[in-house]
Amino acid sequence: MSGMLDSGTLLTTDSGLRVEVFDLLGAGGQGEVYRVRTSAGYQALKWYYPACATPAQEAIVRQLVGRGFADDRFLWPLDFVADARGGFGYLMDIRPDRFKGLPMLFRRQLRTSPRALLKACLYTVEAYQALHSRGIAYRDISWGNIFFDPDTGDVLVCDNDNAVVEGDSTGISGTMEFMAPELVRGDPGVAPGTQSDLHSLSVLLFMLLMNHHPLKGRRELAIHCLDEAAERKLYGKQPLFVFDPQDQSNAPDPTEQATVLATWAAAPDSLRALFTKNFTAGLHDPTTRVRESQWRDTLRAVLDAVVECARCGKQNMTEPRAADPGTCWSCGSTLVLPPRLVLTTPPPRTEHHILLHRSSRVQAHHLDPEPARHDYGDGTLVALLTEHPQKPGRFGLANRSASPWTGTRADGSTQRIDPGQTVPLRSGLELDFGGARAVVRSK
Amino acid sequence: MPAGVTPVPLWATLLESVQGVNKTRNQDYCEVQGRGTAEEPLIMAVADGHGSAAHARSHLGSRFAVDLFVEEARRFGALAQPPGDERPPSLAWLMHYAEHAFPRQLVSAWRGRVLGHWTRTSSHEEPGVSEEHKVLLYGSTLIGAVLTPRVFAAWQLGDGELTVVDEAGQVTVPLAPAEADLGDETESLCTPKAWRRIRTHWAPVTAPWRAPRLIAASTDGLSKSFASDRGFLQFMAGLDDRLSAEGADSVRAVLPQWLARASRHSGDDTTLVAAWHQGDPPVPGPAVAPEPVAAPEPALAADPVAVPDPAAAAGTGTGPARRPEPEPEPAEQPSPATTDPAPPTDPHGRDE
Repeated sequence: MSGMLDSGTLLTTDSGLRVEVFDLLGAGGQGEVYRVRTSAGYQALKWYYPACATPAQEAIVRQLVGRGFADDRFLWPLDFVADARGGFGYLMDIRPDRFKGLPMLFRRQLRTSPRALLKACLYTVEAYQALHSRGIAYRDISWGNIFFDPDTGDVLVCDNDNAVVEGDSTGISGTMEFMAPELVRGDPGVAPGTQSDLHSLSVLLFMLLMNHHPLKGRRELAIHCLDEAAERKLYGKQPLFVFDPQDQSNAPDPTEQATVLATWAAAPDSLRALFTKNFTAGLHDPTTRVRESQWRDTLRAVLDAVVECARCGKQNMTEPRAADPGTCWSCGSTLVLPPRLVLTTPPPRTEHHILLHRSSRVQAHHLDPEPARHDYGDGTLVALLTEHPQKPGRFGLANRSASPWTGTRADGSTQRIDPGQTVPLRSGLELDFGGARAVVRSK
Repeated sequence: MPAGVTPVPLWATLLESVQGVNKTRNQDYCEVQGRGTAEEPLIMAVADGHGSAAHARSHLGSRFAVDLFVEEARRFGALAQPPGDERPPSLAWLMHYAEHAFPRQLVSAWRGRVLGHWTRTSSHEEPGVSEEHKVLLYGSTLIGAVLTPRVFAAWQLGDGELTVVDEAGQVTVPLAPAEADLGDETESLCTPKAWRRIRTHWAPVTAPWRAPRLIAASTDGLSKSFASDRGFLQFMAGLDDRLSAEGADSVRAVLPQWLARASRHSGDDTTLVAAWHQGDPPVPGPAVAPEPVAAPEPALAADPVAVPDPAAAAGTGTGPARRPEPEPEPAEQPSPATTDPAPPTDPHGRDE
């Protein structure tokens, strides 16, 4: 079976770029994606199925191409392409191999870590926040549209061709599993937009962290065929959170849905509280849904509070600032809290509690009271916890920034830490990062 | 259609299974049915029961797998193109259903069926036998496909091959795993949360002439009889050629011999189901946007079919005009003395 376009087919984009179809990369719900050769090298071409190649879809794609969006978190439509037979599509970059689809995660075909997943969640939140802040609603957030790097947590949002300016009522069915209940029900006067995106985003975050859908409990298991009518009931007419504190009738089945019971138990209270709010009150009142900034702040704090189990080495999410870290989700051992770096940004003051494990890092966003974007890459590294090369078990904080710090010991003496230098960690040590200040606390 | 007129099948179907040498029973099971229309989607499935002592009831597990797949596939076909004026779901919804709901429902139904069978046929409840151990007894692989005028979808769990020959004669195995299973290990319906391991092939039929020409599902008894993947692909290309040249009746007649020979090489039960499109697909009109349309009308009689040559079927014929024919190729293990010719040469270089 072949795709709609034959290899060797020649097309020309609106901007005059010559495109030669090379091979079929995959088929989706709206169209097929081909690898194509252009003067700029290999790129990807999305080509719509005839049934989806509507004037409305063409208008959206043309608008998105015209708008442009130079953001490395998105595979944005770059150029419009049409043939002489009424077919059309758009050119975009090819997704790098390091980005993997979420189905691979849910099928346990990827090796990743709680830290990478938390970063992926944080980056996902900020990616959609970036769209929303520009007045664009994505409208089709689902696990098929986001890819992530299981090592770094970097995300790449694909299939952006349903995004429209907020208020545009151009139809999109979306994926019911991710659609806000009011859209599934088809409530009069309700259109997909940033408010419904918030529900889809919360579903996606829940699935990333809990490996399960938030509304698929016992009720789903009782459904023989999950057809449209059944989905409409499950996600629209009678949605019920699997961990609804007031109604356990859709609680996870302990045998069939054991995974989500385990992942929920391993999540810190602050994350569970946001999910519970979103999937109880937020199911019925869109205005109470968790906003991106709330997700961002909570995810960042939890990420700073991940600790390795001293016994088995597995990463555990702990409640930020809590005195009792609980027990390891893997081996059941009591977790031990390491010292922490309490970092306060310049006004408006934000306090970060960074647990100091063997590879702890202070990033540029930790020093910024209102960072536009979080980045855990080496390019924004400020400080790195390092072990003394001759004295195992003794740690210091290495200055990886371009500016000197000032350290003040508990006895009041000060020390300048130039870029590249390391300051030994001592309880009570205060550091001035040039605006942001931090203190090392043993507990 | 006028009353009393038997519809001409759009697809010719093949179905054959042979028991492996030294096997006490054939653990494979298969089915193929339907016409590839909205009302009667083309449905095919093969399953390979694992067969060892740990899977003592796997001949039943494979049968349940195929039967339940056919049920789910019929439901999928009805969802893809509901009867009457009911609005069909979007392709996006259907793809999501195929990739997520279908595997879950199928695995859940299979587990329910085998546990029910265990309860009915066990004389007493053994307290020490867990649900997982009961399910293990029935372990089986599964490959299944559905073709409607709107969409071609297929699913695979475990070994075996789904083979597709497109309208240009290109042979592909779209559900081949990224990494082959090691040794005799294979994924199975008895694996916990098996639905997670089911691979899905999704290919909307955007125009009738883009639909597959040949679809085949086979157990690994066939592919293992070849020394290489290339040999298997050549077999399938040859099967397609033979069907085109001589028609389905001719191939149907010799298929048991081919599979028996393959089974002798692989030592395994060997099963093949296939569906071959009998008519010429409609030719696209110039400058007309391709729209999803119903499958082509039933084709007229195919070209006159050459009389099958038993010698050719046995691989010993030497006729100069003979088409390349499917012929299992010995795998790496020592094979019995044979006069088998080399694997058929593919005139189109399709598997290169």
